[in-house]
Amino acid sequence: MSLYLALDTATDLGSVAVGSPEGVLAELTFSDRRHAAALMPAIDEAMRLAGADWNAVSGIVVADGPGSFTGLRIGVATVKGILAVRDGLELRSVPSLLGLAWAIARVVPGPVAALYDALRGDVFAAVYDTDGTTVRECQAPTLLPAAELARRIPCRPVVAAGDGAVAHSAAVRSWTGRDPVGPPAGAPRASALVELLAVEGVTKRIDDIDAFEPTYGRRAAAQDRWEAKHGRPLPDPDGD
Amino acid sequence: MIDVVLGIETSCDETSAAVLIRDAQRIELASLVILSQDIHAVFGGVVPELASRAHVRTIGPVVRQALDIAGVSLGAIDAIAVTAGPGLVGSLLVGVCFAKALAATTNRALIGVHHLEGHVFAPTLQYPDCAPPFVALVVSGGHTLLLDVPDWGRYRVLGETRDDAAGEAFDKVAGLLGLGYPGGPAIESVAHRGTDRFDLPRPMRGDGFDFSFSGLKTAVLHAVRRSPDVARDQADLAASFQSAVFDVLTDKVDRAVERTGYATVVLGGGVACSRTLAKVMAGHLAGRVRVVVAEPRLNADNAAMIARAGWFHLERGERSDAYLDADPRLPWPGLERGPVLTHIGGPS
Repeated sequence: MSLYLALDTATDLGSVAVGSPEGVLAELTFSDRRHAAALMPAIDEAMRLAGADWNAVSGIVVADGPGSFTGLRIGVATVKGILAVRDGLELRSVPSLLGLAWAIARVVPGPVAALYDALRGDVFAAVYDTDGTTVRECQAPTLLPAAELARRIPCRPVVAAGDGAVAHSAAVRSWTGRDPVGPPAGAPRASALVELLAVEGVTKRIDDIDAFEPTYGRRAAAQDRWEAKHGRPLPDPDGD
Repeated sequence: MIDVVLGIETSCDETSAAVLIRDAQRIELASLVILSQDIHAVFGGVVPELASRAHVRTIGPVVRQALDIAGVSLGAIDAIAVTAGPGLVGSLLVGVCFAKALAATTNRALIGVHHLEGHVFAPTLQYPDCAPPFVALVVSGGHTLLLDVPDWGRYRVLGETRDDAAGEAFDKVAGLLGLGYPGGPAIESVAHRGTDRFDLPRPMRGDGFDFSFSGLKTAVLHAVRRSPDVARDQADLAASFQSAVFDVLTDKVDRAVERTGYATVVLGGGVACSRTLAKVMAGHLAGRVRVVVAEPRLNADNAAMIARAGWFHLERGERSDAYLDADPRLPWPGLERGPVLTHIGGPS
């Protein structure tokens, strides 16, 4: 069987899984906000629980954002380190909000809003309608003030999940008519990423590993301030 | 037996990787790649989020290039040494996570290294006979530290800055003078055309081992405000400021040499890239002690020094486990604080 390693470090609750669309063999979550410390041991442990070694793994699927900038970088830097050694592995990415929505939709039928806290009163938001085999994107991942969810997102979800939903529960209640689903029930699950590998067109193959970086969903605040002040784009940030 | 160590350093705005190889009884620098992020110059200082994002893009190619230049494969590496702190946490995390994944996937040893300990080891890569006991002055954008180093792995703090780090003062004064970032090289490049005529203060000179550069920076600010033509005075102000800083650094090192009785002084850190500082220090201490300063690429933030300090800990049997984390305020192992002792009868 061709196995995938899946990882999601977009929020405070990190998740790692090993399996294939035919079945997830192991899944671990960790929540102490020390993803850099916990991620590699969690990967080792998930591999051990799955009874797998690297030779049994054919690819990695990663939730590439949006979410916590630091959390996303921990996941991507770890993936790049693994691929520097195991350069034959396929790398695929999934929007982190889709991974969360898919996990929630296992138990709640109907469109699910996935909301991650983007700080400063904003949320990263997306709405997906899934039935276990297909995904319909009602709202692609976007950044907006939580107070404007109801006004700016055209479809009405049956439930909203994620740390952004919990952080803005009043706005969520007035939008969906229900309490938000927060962690642990409303938490990202890496097993969802594994299952999404079987869904046509929702995972993206990454061929240029060096150029791969998280989908942050928001530019660095310093860049916005600089451009507002100078009235022109920041020079090429790579500047090297 | 450790024969090949890969070093990784991402504590601030340089992505760096290096390979050290044992050749007979010597540790040779087989490769050193340093990729500086120029983007921060337009901000006049490092923007942490932009630095972190750049490290994610550059870490893979930089490590691969260091391996290629050294002519070794990942399979030939015995251990990986990575800066675990101190530094910018977002930057540190990229190197730490990449290094941990490399170590776990290749089943190689991993050692987290204190960035400043790297600076103390850096000169040995160029001068293998450089060994304790010595006085070490580590001067960079984030640190100004005067150390008594009686042995490798033991570092007694003699003095440190009470406010700005020396490199930070250079950056701020370069800003006041309309010069670029980073400030050290910018000031040095115009100072040689100027003269030290502004009579700036030498803070805490003759007073213990600690440093203070905040008042000196303010004195430059006042001089700039008083100047009828800053463009005309720029070189003289730069020369005056640089002389004031280097006079203080030299004075403190001189006192440390007298107190310890050591015969060697080691300079490290980004500010030690200054040829002027090396010249002033060597001239002042000539005939009394040997002043060891490595070439600039080994004094800037670089992975070779991290690999070298890591090698020292690896040879002592130390290893980091898979739970290694980046720590922006990482305590320095072996660092001792306490009363400064007088070494009677020369080096201890």
